[in-house]
Amino acid sequence: MKLDEIKNEIGSCQSTSELENIRIKYLGRSGLINQEFAKIKTATDPKQFGIELNNLKNSVEKLISEKQNILPKIENCELKIENSNFGLPKIGHLHPITITERQLNEVFRKLGFSIYNSPEIVTDEYNFERLNVPKNHPARDMQDTIYIHEPNYLLRTQTSTIESYLLQKEGQNLPIRAAFPGSVYRNEKVNRSNHFVFHQYQAVVIDRGVTMKDLIGTMDLMFKTLYGDGVVVRYRCKYYPEVEPGVGPDMQCFNCHGAGCTLCKHAGWIEMGGSGMIHPKVLEMAGIDHHIYSGFAFGMGLDRWTMAQNNITDIRTLMGGNLAYKPTEL
Amino acid sequence: MKLIYSHLKTFLPDLNVEPQKLRDDLTMIGHWTNYFEKIEGEIVFDLDIKTNRGDCLGYYGLARDLSVLYDLPLESLSNDGLPKSNYTLPIKVETDNVTRVMAVKIVHIQNQKSPDWLQKFVRIHGANSINTLVDLTNYAMYMYGIPNHAFDTSKSTDNLIWQMNPKYTEFRSLDGTHLPIDKSILMVNNRSTALSLSFWGGESCAIDNSTTNTIIEFAVYNPTTVHQNSHQLKVTTEAATRLEKFLDPDLIPSAINFLSKLIIENCGGSIGSNIYDYYPNPLETPSINFDHNSSSIISGINIPTDFSKKTLTNLGCVVVNNPDPAKDDGTVSLVTPPSIRKDITISEDLAEEVIRFCGYNNIPKDQPLNSKKVKDITPAEIFLIEQIKDRLVSEGYDEVITWPLVSEAVDPKTVIKTENSINAEVIYLRQSLIPSLKQQLDQYKRYKLPNPKFFEIGKIYHQANGQYVEKYALGTYDGEKINETMLDDLEKPDSYIPSDQYNHAIELTSQIISLDANVNLDRPQDPISLIKIYSEQIDKDILWSMEIVDIYQTRYTFRVSYYNCDDKTAKKIHLKTFNLN
Repeated sequence: MKLDEIKNEIGSCQSTSELENIRIKYLGRSGLINQEFAKIKTATDPKQFGIELNNLKNSVEKLISEKQNILPKIENCELKIENSNFGLPKIGHLHPITITERQLNEVFRKLGFSIYNSPEIVTDEYNFERLNVPKNHPARDMQDTIYIHEPNYLLRTQTSTIESYLLQKEGQNLPIRAAFPGSVYRNEKVNRSNHFVFHQYQAVVIDRGVTMKDLIGTMDLMFKTLYGDGVVVRYRCKYYPEVEPGVGPDMQCFNCHGAGCTLCKHAGWIEMGGSGMIHPKVLEMAGIDHHIYSGFAFGMGLDRWTMAQNNITDIRTLMGGNLAYKPTEL
Repeated sequence: MKLIYSHLKTFLPDLNVEPQKLRDDLTMIGHWTNYFEKIEGEIVFDLDIKTNRGDCLGYYGLARDLSVLYDLPLESLSNDGLPKSNYTLPIKVETDNVTRVMAVKIVHIQNQKSPDWLQKFVRIHGANSINTLVDLTNYAMYMYGIPNHAFDTSKSTDNLIWQMNPKYTEFRSLDGTHLPIDKSILMVNNRSTALSLSFWGGESCAIDNSTTNTIIEFAVYNPTTVHQNSHQLKVTTEAATRLEKFLDPDLIPSAINFLSKLIIENCGGSIGSNIYDYYPNPLETPSINFDHNSSSIISGINIPTDFSKKTLTNLGCVVVNNPDPAKDDGTVSLVTPPSIRKDITISEDLAEEVIRFCGYNNIPKDQPLNSKKVKDITPAEIFLIEQIKDRLVSEGYDEVITWPLVSEAVDPKTVIKTENSINAEVIYLRQSLIPSLKQQLDQYKRYKLPNPKFFEIGKIYHQANGQYVEKYALGTYDGEKINETMLDDLEKPDSYIPSDQYNHAIELTSQIISLDANVNLDRPQDPISLIKIYSEQIDKDILWSMEIVDIYQTRYTFRVSYYNCDDKTAKKIHLKTFNLN
């Protein structure tokens, strides 16, 4: 029984229970050291044998005592590793949608935009009428609405609804620059490609002299921030009831570079949302004089973009943290 | 909508543009064109026409736009009239939901199989060829964008009456479908039989090869009524798609002229009645005071007044100089749009027309808004949410987003229920985040995720005093229990700019592959140093985490989680890193 061996044994011990076993093994009543003491009578030099054995016992007691002091730190080794700072992702993680929203918020904050929000349960007035979509307007068919109490109370179908609240509340405190990420709802069956809740991002500016040039330049800046300087975006005429003129941004298909493929349904371009100059009727309904002020609004979906960024092919994975975790041991 | 290049030339005989350019140009001026393809020797475009442009659900409307874009002459419509007859049709209209009906009887026709060109036309448009007369009615609808109908008068008689359903409980459509109908349905009948709906013909008076006498009619209705009828009966037809939009009643004379002549040309026969025309209240087209500078003001680029005037004139607008000579500097006009453009009602609509033909692509893309100090109206709640997220993430929590609609009510008395959710299993708005987070935890446990710690900030909902209430809640799982806190109860910061140090390993939803490795060393070593050594050998883009889960003597068990890669790649890298081959 050599002290070095015991030292190694104690040194490699990683838990208090393991250390206790070592203590019992060597120092217990029937432990190895006591068993050695029983041999003292037969020793050639009992005195020397006794001194050495006592020294060994004291050394082992000291080693175990020292180990007892540091063991909790070793047992918390994982915690130390988690908190150590050597460039690994040891902190928690934001949801991918939050990351995308923050990327966009950052672009707009630098341009002086506030971040805004409003209720999700809304009235028909805020979701449709204040956006120039009166009852029986065909545009309502484009949005399958989830009703809380038909026809008046519903779950907002678009972030333009936040614009309705914004204009009503802040319409007399112009100019306005606001951006708003938000959850919106459509009565869609949940499957691989569709969900009843998804995320949109919208930005609104109202000021004197706002033009389509401001709108297109700002949207292009946003797309370059998201997709890089090489992104090719075109802006074309597109109809939305709440804007006039309407503008549709299309991104050149990243898969075929405009040649046409199944991903872009052979168009060569992918529709990236909608925008335009805020319709005079929308401004009027908020008490804003459209002869003095003009504004733009644009909105886009975040889910598809975030999924593409993260190689997620099933929208259900994005919502509900359906983490496809597969523990595997070699 | 399908568009056949060669038939577009009916209205634009000088059109000679490469199909690819035509596709792109149509899209740029507002008619999204997916693609073009060659079908049966024809170049065919696939278009998505927006709800405000009912006029472009016909070739004529699209041709008008293209004639302006390419500055090409538009074939003028024939309104030279049909032969007169001594017979006046006994048609009656007994409802306000009809804006205009024109009808004429054609007699002694010989109906038969359609000629090849006609069969091909309807086939490309996704319809079955029935016979010449029926196919020609469809052809006229596609060309002019206005639905029409042909009645076999040996079955319907001439006594057609447009009215709201007076008594019928069922309607049998052309394809034999039985539809239960109530009094809100606009229809054509003859006092004894339901002959046709506004948007779908009936079996009782269907045209077949034995038809010799027919009444053809074009009509424009109250679009809301057609829309409601179509929705109520859950039937969408090509006619309904058009009639629920604003169509031009003034186009009907040309359209009926066109169809009548085609029928006589292809089926023989002759006009057997005078034209019946019900149009009690001709629609007025608004005259708009238009400042030609407004196109420049709205677009932000200089668009000359001359270009504006020319564009509007080519669109068919009547452009008259300012009637007040004292103010006439040539920049303001009184503009009356053509009747076919029901979507143009205000000055901004005219400006859009000018800008879209000037070209959105002429607006520079490199001049965003300047940064400007504007009053910050960000609600403090948003600052708080961002602050909490950053703090929790720095403490090792992962953020999750769960479904706001759930299957069970926490408190049935105050829960808010959706009325029409098609996901029948989730019909309640959640009243707490806790059940959702419990489900999340169960899922993580099933997947044996090591040491989960996660949170969600989301809305919870309830009813109180007849009001719908929604508030932000924070739900956390700290490794031991799930807690919920209302954000209203927390102190809100005056401002908070979230960290821009986004953890690049954001992909919580990516597949994580966890592999263990037992490594025997010759002597005990500091675990943290070991992790550092091994982690540096793995690409950070695929390394999610690394930890030592067991140490026995000099044997160290590492658990490594990989992401952004497949199982095979992870295993290969793992074996190489820990020298396990």
